[in-house]
Amino acid sequence: MAGFILKRVLLLVPMLFGASLVIFLLLRLGPSDPAMDYLRLSKVPPTPQALEDARQMLGLDQPIFVQYFDWLNNALHLDFGVSFATQRPVLPDLLHYLPATLQLAGVALALTLVISIPLGVWAARYRERWPDQAVRLLAFVGVSMPNFWLGFLLVLLFSVELGWLPSMGRGGISHIVMPAVAISFMSLVINARLLRASMLEVAGQRHVRYARLRGLSERKVERSHILRNAWLPIITAIGMHIGEMLGGTLIIESIFGWPGVGRYAVSAVLNRDYPVIQCFTLMMVVIFVVCNLIVDIVYAVADPRIRLSSEGVK
Amino acid sequence: MFKTLRVIAFLVGAAMAAMPNTSASAGATLNFSWPVNVGWLNPHLYSPNQMFAQNMVYEPLVRYRADGTLEPWLAQSWEASEDGKTYIFKLRKGVTFSNGEVFDAAAAKANFDAILANRSRHAWLELANQIVSVEAVDSDTLKLTLKDSYYPLLQELALPRPFRFMAPSMFKDGGTKDGIVAPVGTGPWKLQETRLGERDVFVRNDSYWGEKPAYEKIVVKVISDPNTRAIAFETGEIDLIYGVDGPITPDTFERFRQMGSYTTELSAPFETKMLAINTNRGATRDLAVRKAINHAVDKDKMISTVLYDTQLRADTLFAPNVPYADIGLKPYLFDPEEAKRLLEEDGWHAESDRAIREKDGEPLAIELCFPGTDAVAKSMAEIIQGDLRKVGIDVKLTGEEESSIFARQRDGRFGMIFNMTWGAPYDPHAFVSSMRIPSHADYQAQLGLADKPKIDAEISEVLVSTDVKARQELYRDIFTRLHEEAVYLPLTYVTAIAVAKPEIGEIPFGAMSSEIPFDRLKPQGN
Repeated sequence: MAGFILKRVLLLVPMLFGASLVIFLLLRLGPSDPAMDYLRLSKVPPTPQALEDARQMLGLDQPIFVQYFDWLNNALHLDFGVSFATQRPVLPDLLHYLPATLQLAGVALALTLVISIPLGVWAARYRERWPDQAVRLLAFVGVSMPNFWLGFLLVLLFSVELGWLPSMGRGGISHIVMPAVAISFMSLVINARLLRASMLEVAGQRHVRYARLRGLSERKVERSHILRNAWLPIITAIGMHIGEMLGGTLIIESIFGWPGVGRYAVSAVLNRDYPVIQCFTLMMVVIFVVCNLIVDIVYAVADPRIRLSSEGVK
Repeated sequence: MFKTLRVIAFLVGAAMAAMPNTSASAGATLNFSWPVNVGWLNPHLYSPNQMFAQNMVYEPLVRYRADGTLEPWLAQSWEASEDGKTYIFKLRKGVTFSNGEVFDAAAAKANFDAILANRSRHAWLELANQIVSVEAVDSDTLKLTLKDSYYPLLQELALPRPFRFMAPSMFKDGGTKDGIVAPVGTGPWKLQETRLGERDVFVRNDSYWGEKPAYEKIVVKVISDPNTRAIAFETGEIDLIYGVDGPITPDTFERFRQMGSYTTELSAPFETKMLAINTNRGATRDLAVRKAINHAVDKDKMISTVLYDTQLRADTLFAPNVPYADIGLKPYLFDPEEAKRLLEEDGWHAESDRAIREKDGEPLAIELCFPGTDAVAKSMAEIIQGDLRKVGIDVKLTGEEESSIFARQRDGRFGMIFNMTWGAPYDPHAFVSSMRIPSHADYQAQLGLADKPKIDAEISEVLVSTDVKARQELYRDIFTRLHEEAVYLPLTYVTAIAVAKPEIGEIPFGAMSSEIPFDRLKPQGN
């Protein structure tokens, strides 16, 4: 097991290096000039002298790979520079906003699990009957509806019309309900359908038939023999959902005035605030790969076949 | 499995319960919103300090009025020397900063020194280049000496930045260019609290020398999205929407206006939105083409459909309420037939009514550049494209990021490009001054004019003229030349919008677009 984890951790190094290179180059390949963006956001008239000074200050007069290695070197020392727009150091600000985003994404993920698992079990238990059809309809709506639209609909109903929930801001329980639902809805219905499919697949296997033949109650068969074996695809899906949740916060935080990194990143993208975009993207890559690493480890713990095959045992 | 779910459900509940429960306090508190935090509020620096907030905390020597005149503020009176190079200001007595420090000539001089220590940063503002020395003659007398006679001195002293005053004890390392200790000014408000990404809280300065604001507290919530702001207003999270830079979309403003249950107001014009037409490139080098463009665009239709009548039709580069600009220029009226006639006369012919005109085998095609992220500008550009197509002009729309548009303005890569005047108190002097600088769209657009050197010379002359009559004549000549050469297609006079709950009372507008007059708000019942 330790070998398995070590191997996966070592793989992160080239992955993160590659991601940092792609992030840096993609931004530089864009049509706009970072020096011009810097002057525009600093409200400095772009005279030739000002442009020249900005290029020099930002190191843009250096070859692109020198710029990359400078940036990488600073990043390794946790220095991601200063935001063009706010003139504040980027990393402390991102870390300031991060807890709010993790809280929102965490609650959304928990909602996904708490709601999708009973829904999936319900749909599988009543296959092709009305509960299954209802979950199917919900899934159809869920995957078709963009989260920002759902967010606005929720606000219109629960804040504007009914006045039950606050429309924006971070505060009590009531503040997080709507953004969390908006972010989690699609993942939730996908998860339910995935679990249903997985349970039905397992339900047809021999060990389940054998359990029934042994006279075990249907509830016991479902819990101990179907659900336990149908659990593996859900673990993989959780890894993907974490990415979806964090991606979902980008727009949802702006709509609900939630003070997280998503909203900070959206305004940085709109402003072409390079230092913030680079730091945010790299931070998201790190979070994403670490979450996937954890999922892989959990997967290996849950299913010895994976662990053993990676260790070369046949 | 279900045990696990129960644990997760418990954790969700615990996470939610652990969150702080905050709610806006009632009473004499006004909830407002702004897209970003107000910044450190360094009075002598720019981004990320928000001008409206700098204006709340810091005050000028003289204050700009909506009619373009100036009133005494921290300076009770002033006197200019015969040659216009020396100004003596008598400072108001009994003024203190909000921390109790006295505002006197020494404090004022310390602020000027701090600003001038960073002169290159303020070089875009001519006054920063003009000041030779600042002297505290006695405790309430300040003397400014200039290089030349520079008539817009008072207007530029009235700007929200940089010529405002902070308690010298709050300087960092003896100045302000590297930051400040805390924002302490003489104004009616004090910054009490900043929560990054959430809100800024201002409280009334109870030691303020002037009339104290009716509200005790202004909470400025950070809301970046205009739709979220509108919903926050409807649900009572904020009490007031105010601004010129699209705080809500025009259709939302119209919806609030139609509802009738809120106070909705439009200000007088603050600035002009126009297209700069390039006289130095392509078909727009022809005066007839530029005039035809001015006749062919139906601005009224654009304003009623895209802007829901939230802005006013612009006939000239500057609105008549701008100083020196009410000179009776004859507008180019919407007249597509006249546009066609001008083009025909100039040799731009079309084979049929719907065809693109040509001259010497060259099609009449013009590139119109607009910020692609600005939905309103895009709609306006499409209407212009449609209207010009009707008179045989092919408009190619180029929507790009703001910085690319900025770069095009700088190096003249446009046929037509969206542009704005700078508003009060910069208009007209600072805006026309910038027409001489190559990095501005106006300079590039005017480059093809035969009398560009003459225009530039007159601009230089008007800025140092001491005779009001001569100044008016120079401005008349500059504006007339630009108008007759049809260098611009003025589109709209931009107004500020205000939407408020009825209990907020009447909403006054500031004299400058960057000024939000919180201190003049009087809630009903007070």
